[in-house]
Amino acid sequence: MLEIVQNNWTLLLVGQYPAGPLGGIVATLLLAIAGLALAFPFAILLAVARLSPYRWVNWPATAVVNIVRGMPFLMVIFWSYFALPILIGRPLSGFWTLVGALVLYESAYLAEIIRAGIQALPRGQEEAARSLGFGYFRTLTFVILPQALYNSLPALIGQFVSLIKETSLGYVISVNEFTYAASQLNSQLLVRPVEVFSILAITYFIVCFALTQSARWVEQRIARTRQGKSSGMQIQTNPLATEPMP
Amino acid sequence: MKTKLLSLAVAAAILSTGTASADQLEDIKARGTLICGTLGTAEPFSFADPQTRQIVGYDIDLCQAIADDLGVKMEAKPISVEARIPELVQGRIDIVAGNLGYTPERAEQIDYTTSYFVSLQKLLVKEGSAFDTIDSLAESRISAPKGSSSERYVREVLPQASLLTFQDPPSAFLALAQSKVDAMILSEINAEKFIAQTGESFRFVEQPVAEEYWGLGVRKNEEAFLQQVNVTLKRLEDSGEGEAIFDKWLGQETVYKLSKPFKFDTPVSDPVLRPAL
Amino acid sequence: MGYEFDFSSVLTDQYIDWLISGVRITLLLTAGAWIIAFVIAVVLAVLRATNFRPAVWLVAVFVEVHQNIPLLVQVLFWYFAMPELLPEAWRDWLVRNNSEFILAMIAIAMCTAAYMSEALRSGLRAVPVTQYEAGRSFGFNYLQTMSYIVVPQALRLSVPPMVNHSLLLFKNTSIAMAIGVHELTYQTRQIDSDTFRTFEVFLVATGLYLVLSFIIMFVGNLIERRFSMGTR
Repeated sequence: MLEIVQNNWTLLLVGQYPAGPLGGIVATLLLAIAGLALAFPFAILLAVARLSPYRWVNWPATAVVNIVRGMPFLMVIFWSYFALPILIGRPLSGFWTLVGALVLYESAYLAEIIRAGIQALPRGQEEAARSLGFGYFRTLTFVILPQALYNSLPALIGQFVSLIKETSLGYVISVNEFTYAASQLNSQLLVRPVEVFSILAITYFIVCFALTQSARWVEQRIARTRQGKSSGMQIQTNPLATEPMP
Repeated sequence: MKTKLLSLAVAAAILSTGTASADQLEDIKARGTLICGTLGTAEPFSFADPQTRQIVGYDIDLCQAIADDLGVKMEAKPISVEARIPELVQGRIDIVAGNLGYTPERAEQIDYTTSYFVSLQKLLVKEGSAFDTIDSLAESRISAPKGSSSERYVREVLPQASLLTFQDPPSAFLALAQSKVDAMILSEINAEKFIAQTGESFRFVEQPVAEEYWGLGVRKNEEAFLQQVNVTLKRLEDSGEGEAIFDKWLGQETVYKLSKPFKFDTPVSDPVLRPAL
Repeated sequence: MGYEFDFSSVLTDQYIDWLISGVRITLLLTAGAWIIAFVIAVVLAVLRATNFRPAVWLVAVFVEVHQNIPLLVQVLFWYFAMPELLPEAWRDWLVRNNSEFILAMIAIAMCTAAYMSEALRSGLRAVPVTQYEAGRSFGFNYLQTMSYIVVPQALRLSVPPMVNHSLLLFKNTSIAMAIGVHELTYQTRQIDSDTFRTFEVFLVATGLYLVLSFIIMFVGNLIERRFSMGTR
């Protein structure tokens, strides 16, 4: 097994780069980062819209969240693959096709995390800000969202782990990422699937486990800093929101 | 649901105007690159060279020759077997060089150049298994790459067999090597490398399931580009350059030991099912 | 010109048959994996609650491993690698009995079990210790207390996350396509590569997935309401 890693570590790390497209574990991480970063603004919009008292705002947002929750991520990938290039009117690389799918899918799940974060804040926060003369949007941007996002940080890191795992499905549309690199390796070596898939699984485990642990650490820190300030501030993450894709 | 239908309507509107706009030949020249879709996992046609990690092979050399004649750079884009036609139709690639056998259904979607390979599709079984004719596999389990023409031949020739399709040819082969299926259908040429690599014994069911003509695929209604590619193929045939490329990847010096059994300027034609030997 | 939607070439008898058999396999896979996952999850959660060190540690490893590796990789591993590690006789049996279906079911079940056991664990922790003590003071032994008093209450508390994981399980069965299980996504792509009517066939498939998901969400909601009324 070690010898496979020794002979092919560049393929597993960066794919064909620099002779060809970037791939491997580096591409996997970049995909997850790009997906999370681009999904974030949409997620905040969706979350705020979901909490809006106006039906014509919260109803469409709720519909989007529920439709996305009802679709397998693979289906979202295929839609992104067929429809996105047509929608934007030009061909898309595999990388951006997958990012598009991640943004659509994750916006809904992240929105639920952020919404839970907002709902967990004591109502006093909003009332205080409003009584200071802040308008709705200023209250939201300067008082509510910063606290809600801070409290949701562990859940957000957890979601980043989900994104990393989701990128593996890019394999079915031949996106250059880690699972695809391993499948290329598997087709080269052909008869050593046990070793190749073990390398694949172990590497994912190390990366994701490290992140999960750091999420736990952050969670404890936040709990500690929050303690005493206001008891009962424990964020109640909506169980529906976490871990969309094991 | 509503928003999705709406976006689809938009998509449909763009689809109708987007693809048929400019002349593709001009586009390629203006862009300065020919984007060539290849499988990337099919030795010796296109595969990653373990040393350089670059994609090389017979398909790549042909694409390079076409790009050279156009005076542009060649860029190889890896695609899966089943994505070949969608990627082409949607304009993500200019040309497919990826073991693309001619079938009438496919010819409704895309145009074919003249032949660039003629392949025999055969059933591969494990040595020592009881299967020795096509019909003996009538109710067996057969693996194939997803979206391949081989898959269709099995359905036509052995409608009762249960077919398992996989992401790429090596995965389909692995299923056979691990005895998860009784047979695999593939072009004779692709099998050679698999067999050489495993060290296990396999054999072919002697009668081929189909003989098929492979062409390069281009988008429909791109006459100028199609003509240009055919001119290159004709030039390769006449100058002997094509034979040199063939020999480099498939000739006597290689494990395949073939001599070129076709001409680059013959038009592709319908596959022959159960061809006589 | 316009893109002409043409559902009739997708909804022929043959393709409808394929779609129906795809839905059937998807549901079978969901049901089979759910039952296995649930049983394993209960065992894991109870083991973890024993406070017997090695058991707790083993369960933790099981959970972490399954939560931190992509399900696709787990499925590929179970299909291509695991049988190589099994004794010859087992492997032969698998091959004769649709190994791709069985192995996909096990892979999805194991992964879901890890998540479900965590859901049950937080349910167990939420059951007041006094409930356990009361059970013991009735003269129940550990196993009896757990199975008659603590676990039923924990289950009730875990209903919302369990419903959620059931929905995820259903959606995740689509990943079995990667190893050739003829479920709904597999059949969809098969029809697509036969007809090239991509939009039509994917619209139909997406609709089917959504309907089934909404049914699961709806039933889940009913169960949640039922149980939450019972506790209050």
